Amino acid sequence: MADATISGIPVATGIAIGKAYFVNRNHMAHLPRQTVAASLMPQEIARLKDAFASVEAELTTIREQVPEELKTHGSLIDTHLMMLKDPKLVNTAEGYITSLGLNAAWALEKSVADQEAAFESISDTYIRERMQDVRVVADRVQTKLMGVETDLTTISGRAIIMAHDLTPADTVELQVDKIMAFATVRGGKTSHTGIMARSLAIPALVGVDKLEDAVRDGDLVIIDGLAGKIIVNPTEAELEDYNERAAKFETYSRKIKRQCHLPAETFDGSRVQVFSNIELVEEVTSALDNGGEGVGLYRTEYAYLNRIELPTEEELTEKYIDLASIMYPRKVVFRTLDLGSDKFIAAFGELNEANPAMGLRAIRFCLKNPQLFKTQLRAILRASAYGNVSMMFPMISGVKEVRQAKAWLAQARAELRREGVKYDPDMPVGIMIELPAAVLIAEFLAHEVDFFSIGTNDLIQYSIGVDRTNRHVSYLYQPLHPATLRAIKLVVDAAHQAGIEVSLCGEVASDPFCIPILLGMGIDSISMTPQAIPGIKRIIRQINMHDCRLLLKDVLECRTVSRINNLVMDNIFKHFPEEVSFFSSLLENDELPS
Amino acid sequence: MTDESASTDANPGESLSRQVIVASENGLHARPAGRLAQVAQSFESSIVLVRDDQEVDAKSILDILTLAAEPGHVLELRATGGDAEAALIRLEQLFKNKFEV
Repeated sequence: MADATISGIPVATGIAIGKAYFVNRNHMAHLPRQTVAASLMPQEIARLKDAFASVEAELTTIREQVPEELKTHGSLIDTHLMMLKDPKLVNTAEGYITSLGLNAAWALEKSVADQEAAFESISDTYIRERMQDVRVVADRVQTKLMGVETDLTTISGRAIIMAHDLTPADTVELQVDKIMAFATVRGGKTSHTGIMARSLAIPALVGVDKLEDAVRDGDLVIIDGLAGKIIVNPTEAELEDYNERAAKFETYSRKIKRQCHLPAETFDGSRVQVFSNIELVEEVTSALDNGGEGVGLYRTEYAYLNRIELPTEEELTEKYIDLASIMYPRKVVFRTLDLGSDKFIAAFGELNEANPAMGLRAIRFCLKNPQLFKTQLRAILRASAYGNVSMMFPMISGVKEVRQAKAWLAQARAELRREGVKYDPDMPVGIMIELPAAVLIAEFLAHEVDFFSIGTNDLIQYSIGVDRTNRHVSYLYQPLHPATLRAIKLVVDAAHQAGIEVSLCGEVASDPFCIPILLGMGIDSISMTPQAIPGIKRIIRQINMHDCRLLLKDVLECRTVSRINNLVMDNIFKHFPEEVSFFSSLLENDELPS
Repeated sequence: MTDESASTDANPGESLSRQVIVASENGLHARPAGRLAQVAQSFESSIVLVRDDQEVDAKSILDILTLAAEPGHVLELRATGGDAEAALIRLEQLFKNKFEV
């Protein structure tokens, strides 16, 4: 038996076998709390100061290595350095060593707690949040004091990086060519770690709760980025099994990747367009390499996160033009700023809302901050002169909202025209269908816009009323709930009735089990993470539209999720036994037929 | 608002002071606070920043942040020590330039 098998959320596929190295463990649970004799105090103070000094040296080196394109990382590290050098932090800790006889780690912890107390009373949420930066630096010092860190620059072989969380400083420091996989305790599907791992094409798991208890530095681990498992110190038999599986996956990936530039055309000749969801302009390489036919969803939030000032129109325009012109003549769909809920920007502080997912987010936030909105609209319009650009508004709940958003767009257009700046006057404008309200009035909304894009992640969340990051109810997050399916069908039908195209972005699009149903509904295009494209295209090329329609008909008559899941799984198992062993599905795994 | 409230020819040990206005767009947020602390640290004198009845160490970014000074706020800089005057001149300039170097 292996020492342990733990699970997490797979954010980048693949299998890796190697030695575990911890980058930053959460030591707080095991913080040594001891008192030291007066005679040892000077030594303890020296230890404290040494730890501060060596972290300072470390951060300074990292700061120098930050590449130009990661400027935001750089200024974040500058702030961390200033906090580290803050006399307050170290002097207070030193005071606790002399006055209370605490050991260095405990004294520092108390000093951090004092800062926390001082920050707590501040009403400015942005400033209050800076406390997290103090935590990040203090953690680095704690790690030094406890003498358990791994020097990443000295990793000799290839390593599997494990961390409580990966901060921007960590990622700059990592020598990417030596990393085989990532696993972190924190983080969700869209965290920094996932984006990094996908762009490096290495497997990664996030949200691995028991990681720090189950894995020690140097343990041999298998990271299964397909099933979302980590096997710690596997047996000979498990190793052999996984070596074989890894090799098979490698062969399979290579095979499907070779065919990824073929069109996604079903056996009986129906074409579906397959696009990429991307977040960073740098991801276009992987979008194109994996056979993406364009960018179906460019999440524009990233340029606003992890920074203090808002990006300027020039800065955005430059980035957007880059993206549009690299992809040309392929399409790029810009989604306007989707902030709020779990993503905030420093310039606005955190919105203190009881129900952020139902609060001031996405288009609502933009309509409340028209200056910020218009800056982005102008930048997208300016980029439209250089490519095949479309634009869509997220979280639309009614006709009036679309009209308001379009009014700002019209104003941005008029300004540019007056200024003599070029833009594409025919740029298509669409909306995301993510709210049940939008589904129910899809036929009205269809007359206001040029296309729909169904955002299934949010649509499922709002339809079933379930926060899927809430572990008590996440089991209710069911992509193939009869309500979700009916909602998607309604939207597709309304779009086609009005003669506009409808696409779908969301994890459902990259789940092979869901693909036949989406095709059966007549979806025009799907958009997904670049890495999923080759596999999904291959599935599409091997199915018949006729069969998809028949399956859909049966599925729409089912009254329970489990009945639907069974039908869909049977279908995929029958046609794609090979794929099934490599893909993880959103559907309930415990109902897999044996 | 004048910034001529500084007494200039003080004896060592006596503190000099002058008033400054927070002009940077986001108030004393992380970057301006960091720069202020950094520059303050380059002087020997002890320097404090006062807002209403709250007095903090200008060499500590954490302290400065806890002031939560917003754009338009008037603060008082007080320096005590050999290079107090030079420190005040330099720091005042920093406030005027909105912390751009």
